[in-house]
Order: sequence, then C-alpha cells, then structure tokens
Amino acid sequence: MMDLDRVALIGYLAAHHPAGWIGRTALMKVCYFLQVLRDVPLGYSFSLYSYGPFDSAVLSDLGTAETLGVINEAPLPTGYGYKVESAVSDDDLNELASDFLSRYRTDFDWAIREFATSPVSDLELESTIVYVDREASDANGSLSEDELVQQVRDVKPQFSVQKIRGHVQVLKPKGFLEALI
Amino acid sequence: MKSPHRKYEIRCPIHGFIEVNDWERAIIDQPAFQRLRRIRQLAWTDHIYPGAVHTRFEHSLGVMHTASLLFDAIVKNSTEVLRSDLAYNDDGLRRDRQLVRLAALLHDVGHGPFSHAAEELLPNRDDKADKYKHEHYSAAVVRVKLRPAIEDHELNANYGFHAEEVAALLEGSSQARQRLFWRELIDGQMDADRMDYLLRDAYHAGVQYGRFDLHRLINTVCAIPAGGDESGAAPRLGILEGGVHSAEGLVLARYFMFTQVYFHKTRVAFDIHLRGALKELLPNGIFPKPAELDEYLNWDDWRVLGMIAAGGGGEHGRRLATRSHFRKIYHTPEVTTRPDLKKLDRVRKAIGPMLAAEESAVKSWYKTDKTDIPVLGQARKLAPLSSHSPVLASLKKNNQTLLYAKPEDAENARQRAEEALRKS
Repeated sequence: MMDLDRVALIGYLAAHHPAGWIGRTALMKVCYFLQVLRDVPLGYSFSLYSYGPFDSAVLSDLGTAETLGVINEAPLPTGYGYKVESAVSDDDLNELASDFLSRYRTDFDWAIREFATSPVSDLELESTIVYVDREASDANGSLSEDELVQQVRDVKPQFSVQKIRGHVQVLKPKGFLEALI
Repeated sequence: MKSPHRKYEIRCPIHGFIEVNDWERAIIDQPAFQRLRRIRQLAWTDHIYPGAVHTRFEHSLGVMHTASLLFDAIVKNSTEVLRSDLAYNDDGLRRDRQLVRLAALLHDVGHGPFSHAAEELLPNRDDKADKYKHEHYSAAVVRVKLRPAIEDHELNANYGFHAEEVAALLEGSSQARQRLFWRELIDGQMDADRMDYLLRDAYHAGVQYGRFDLHRLINTVCAIPAGGDESGAAPRLGILEGGVHSAEGLVLARYFMFTQVYFHKTRVAFDIHLRGALKELLPNGIFPKPAELDEYLNWDDWRVLGMIAAGGGGEHGRRLATRSHFRKIYHTPEVTTRPDLKKLDRVRKAIGPMLAAEESAVKSWYKTDKTDIPVLGQARKLAPLSSHSPVLASLKKNNQTLLYAKPEDAENARQRAEEALRKS
C-alpha cells in the first residue's frame, strides 16, 4: 500500500509554510530533522551526500503527492529550485492520514518554525552537522567542537570554519547535538 | 613473472570491451565478488522475458566502466570547479578515479538472493526507524571480506587506499569527506548504476524501452559549482545544456522500463512468491544482519532454488516450482488519483478474503522519483531539467496498485471486483 502518511506530511508542510510553498531542499531536510530530532517514524533511510542527508524516497513521495493531487510543483521562475504548493485543504489531508497528522502535528509545526524558512545553504549545512554528530553518537563516540567542525568542513569545504562553528553553536544549546562534548 | 601493471579486457554485450587492471582483477577473483555470478539481476523476470537471465556480476563490471567514463567527462568539462571548490590537483584526481572505479565495481556485492525481490526481508537497523539496505551489506563486505584484496595489492602502493574509504563512499558516511561529491556517480539521480542497468536490462529482456544516448549524455556531464559560504549549496553533478535531450531520454527510458519490465504484473507476482518462500526458508523469516556476514553471504540464488526444488518455501515455494503464480485481478490506473483510491478500497472490500496480495508501484525498488538534474545553461545559468523539458514537466509519477488472487480464486474475485465497480 502507498504511504499516505508521508504524502500527507508533504501536503501539510507545503500548506503551512509561512511563504505558502516549500522548496525541495527544505522538504528533504525537514523530513530528515523530523525523523532524527523528533523521532517521527517516517521510515526514510537517509545517507550523506555533498549536499547533506538525502533519501530519494522523499522525492518519490513528492511525486506520489503530486499524482494524487495533494501538491503542485513547478520549477522556480528564477534561479534553481522547485516550488511545492499545497493543492488541497486540511480536511482533504485529514481524509488521507488523520491519525498520523493529529499525532505529529506539533512536531510538523515545530519543524516549520525551526528550519523550513532557513536558506538552502544553511539547511544543507545544519543537516550535515547533525548527520556527522549522529554518526559519532551511533558509534558510542563523542566529538569536541573542533572535531565536529573539522569533520563537517571535510565534507563541505566550500564553507569556512567560522561559518560551520557558528551553526554548531546555534544547534548545540537547542539540544540537537548528542555526541558533542 | 606477471606484471602488476598488466591490463585485461572483458567482453561486455553493452560496452564492448571493459578494461580492468591487475588489482581490480584480483578483487573480481575474490569469492565475495564471484558470488554475484549466482545472483540474477532481475530475479524471475526470465519467466516473462526469457532472455533476462543476466547477473549482478556483469552489471557490476558495467557500472565500473560507466562510472569511469563519467568521471573522465566531468574532469574534462569541469576541471576548474574541481580544483577551486574541491581543491583537487592531478594526483588527487588520479587517486579518486581509482576510488570511484572500486566503489562502482563493489556497489552491489552486498545483494541478497534475487536482487531486490527480497530486500524487504532485510532486518531493521539497530535503534533506527529504517531497515538495512543492500548498500550496508556491500560496505560490510568491502570492510571485512575484501579488505586484504583492496589494501595489500602491489598497485595500492601508488594510492595507499584503505577499504574504509571505499565503504564510506558506498554507504554515504562523512568518512568519505569531500569525495562524497563522487557518490552521485554510484548512487544518484543520474548514476552509472542506473545508466548501466537500463541498457543491460533492456538488452537482455529484448525490449527497446531502456535505450538512451549514453555517450552523448556522458559527454555533457559536469560539476555544478558551489555557491560559496553565504549563498550556496555544495558542488554537485549536473549536465551542460547540450545534454538535455539525452538526459530526457534517460528519464523516459526509466519510466518505460518500469511500466513494461520492472512492474510487469507477472514479474511482480513472482517477486511476491520469492519473498514468501524466502520468509519460510530464512531463520526467523529474516536475513542475517551485516555483522553476521558469512551467514548472509551463504544466501544466493542457487541455494534458494535448491531448497525450493527440494520442496521448501511453503506454499509460495510450491507456486514458484509449479508456475502456479497469483493472478492479477485488478489494477488502478498508472496515474492513480484520490477518487481512484476510493474505488480501490471498494474493490478490496468486495474481494474480501480472496485478496491474496497487493503491490504498489510506489513501494517498488525501481520506483520512479522526481528526478532532479541541474542543467548548466548559457551564461552559467542553472535550471532544473524539467524547466528545459515540457515532456518531463508533465510526467506524473506511476503510483499504480495491483491486486492479486490465487489462480483458483481469480475468476470469482474478478467478477466481484467488476460488480463492485458497476455498483459505484
């Protein structure tokens, strides 16, 4: 059967984003944060690329959401990217996945507030920081701030050490980093 | 005495000759790689397309070859980006070309029997919401079984590779560092894996749907520059504008192969039975974890077929052995809408206990997704492929659902489905 919960999540994020639409990168990273930071059981299998954690299943679900008429998607008129807009009401979304939405609505609103309006490059960077942190904590390890910054910089050499450190210091007090000592 | 610098050529029906060096040949000769000769690329697809009996072995060689062509094209088209954004010099490029070749060669060594057919039976990852994927097993095989062959060969004196570097690139770990850029050649929207399997599967199945202009596409592959500290995303793989139609061809080839081969109703039925039989045959109905690697690698097509031939695998094993497979009794449109889902629900209820299985295109490993290929146009303007292609912009994802009944129930179930639809 189709995963209508995940389709409904995409519709919800597009509908409730303050801009009235969400981009693909923001969608991908918000799904990652929801699964990793809030334990929402989305069942995605993220792995690391140079542009941060990614799972093609998110894009597959995006396609399903479009086919089902839950969202519309079009390339942005200027620059590179896609605009994902909701095509249904909240009632329609509830018809698809009412239990899931009512159970995790607070988490979805949190993710929109916390991350969805950040610039793409910040989302790529912050999701990479969390990914590297979780690799260490999964291996029962710990990282100093310098080690974490360096490991992230090894993956994303286009960012300066200062920029990476700045984002680590934003994520740390929020309790998003487990391995950092 | 045999020279370590000797090259070998292997014939390939898709690429002509595939060249391997002595180091790669030593890896190919390892039992963990030779096992791929006993894993069919398309499981039981030969029961529909009799020629489709090819294995992961020849595909893996093809992916290594294609990844090398892609790597060389990117270096040719984007030397400046690689030097400025990823700090490459000539030695670094030479080293990472070899790393990409090894990762491409070994990307599938962790496949279980019948490739993707039984991937659902991989266990859950410890403390995670998701299951292991074959890539995790491939990385484990590289780390454990192939480590000596990778690290101890004479040619490695020039590179100093650790098996860990290959494994990190395969599973997408930060240990791959800035080399993660190359991961898109192994597992990405436009990777060597996809390019090879579409052409190879089409060739062996005897269909034309998987064909596209491989060499034109390769010639136009490039590195999209990073955006920098403030404005930008990471450097990533893309194409030059001249490759738009060949990339369009790749996406369409995948779409057609999905509808005609990968999600063929009878092929899907055999996948259901393979999964069901394996559930009976595996201890606790699940594959061993990557930590139990020897036990896992003992599972291949030959072993499973032998067990089924000996009467194992329960009802599903019997159905495979006698070709008494489930019959498709209802399908939603390839582009299923929300009203179609309501119809599907009515049909499900009408069929009741005669519904033996249900398969959705969105759960298939071969499912199509919203392809995201950046195109570098005139004046270095960046745009997604779909903005260059009205065909792709209007292409909807296939989210078809297939319902199955046992052959003995099929006629009755079909009648009930038709009645339910007439009443609605």
